[in-house]
Amino acid sequence: MAARRDNQDSGLAVVTGLGLVSPPPIHIQAPTFEGSLATLLRCVRDHKVQLLDVPLMPVCEAYFEYLIQSNLADLDEAAAALLALSYLLERKAWALLPNDEPEPEPEEPMELPEPTVGEYAPAIEALRTWHDERSKRFFRSPDAGPEPYELPFTLANVKVEDLANALERVLRRAIPTPVEQLGRPRRSITEQMRIVHAALGTEFKPLEHAIPSPYTREDAVYWFLALLELIRLGRVHIRVTETEVAFARA
Amino acid sequence: MDIVDSVMALLFVADAPVTAESLARSLSLGEGQVEQALEVLQSRLASAGPLQVVRLAGGWQLCTKPDFAEAIAVFLKPQRQRLSRSLMEVLAVVAYKQPITLAEIDQARGVQSDYSVRQLAERRLVQEVGRKPTPGRPVLYGTTQQFLHQFNLNDLTGLPKLSAEMKDMEAVEAMAQGEKDEA
Repeated sequence: MAARRDNQDSGLAVVTGLGLVSPPPIHIQAPTFEGSLATLLRCVRDHKVQLLDVPLMPVCEAYFEYLIQSNLADLDEAAAALLALSYLLERKAWALLPNDEPEPEPEEPMELPEPTVGEYAPAIEALRTWHDERSKRFFRSPDAGPEPYELPFTLANVKVEDLANALERVLRRAIPTPVEQLGRPRRSITEQMRIVHAALGTEFKPLEHAIPSPYTREDAVYWFLALLELIRLGRVHIRVTETEVAFARA
Repeated sequence: MDIVDSVMALLFVADAPVTAESLARSLSLGEGQVEQALEVLQSRLASAGPLQVVRLAGGWQLCTKPDFAEAIAVFLKPQRQRLSRSLMEVLAVVAYKQPITLAEIDQARGVQSDYSVRQLAERRLVQEVGRKPTPGRPVLYGTTQQFLHQFNLNDLTGLPKLSAEMKDMEAVEAMAQGEKDEA
């Protein structure tokens, strides 16, 4: 039945958002419970530990040992521990005495010191240290430099007229655009590029074979614009045959 | 073209951590070759010059050495955004318990945390990662790549281990939950 304070945590008085001080990390070692006072308090408060099974003598001993060791360096911390201890004693007394009335719940359970945040204290300190270390390193800014250099793309023997012919052929087969539905989501070329890139295979095929039928003129134009952009980015290859232009994924 | 120099050139132009896989793809090399080149580059830069290669947020990135921090800070005059105690608390809870709902964060801290979560989301340190399949489908929060980057972490396994008491607490909670389920 010994008590100890973790050196790492010593002097850590954690103030919660309510302005209450969390109990200090007093370690309790009893036959039926081993852990911090904060953990015991929380378990009892949330009905997760049967207080009747936990002898309070080691808890009191641990508290006194803490008082002697800490030399009352922090009165708030000592008071928070005393509050936790008195809460446990009251609950235990209530459980031991014969009483027909149900045990009263605290009116404002959240007014109890919140121990959980205290458990994160070492982690928070480590994160803060790393944050400070990181702030001494400087990285290239995302907005550094002018417009990015664009890789030149080649169309080989494909002329602009060939592309225009391909578009014309596709448009001829298009069905009329239906009346626009209300609330129809806007289309973006970026989204269309994803669709086109996914639809194209590694084998070359003409545009009209790539677009899923039936399609409207609007669909055809979107497909064509997306294709042009993909060609510019080098993600689609283009080849011209005697009769038509064919496209394939790069 | 020297592989180490090529890797350094790519890292120089990258404005975010780059994976070895991505570097290998760009240079048409094997991932192993790039990893090796990164190691050589790391030791080469460590011994001389103002730059270093660091492993951060799941990738590699070039940055200045801490020795030059003061001079650079004077030159750039960066606006340092220190995180308050409450923001750090929320961030720590999210980092360890993610994916986590706002109600669960509130419960862990004992106080309302919506403002802090909003602040952290604005700083791109936490983000919505989904919705919990419970009534009301509350939003689940998790940390971002930016969190790893700002806290000098390569991945979440690098977070400091929680105290033994915390694990005790989790075990007790799990046990209590089990008992509740059985009942």
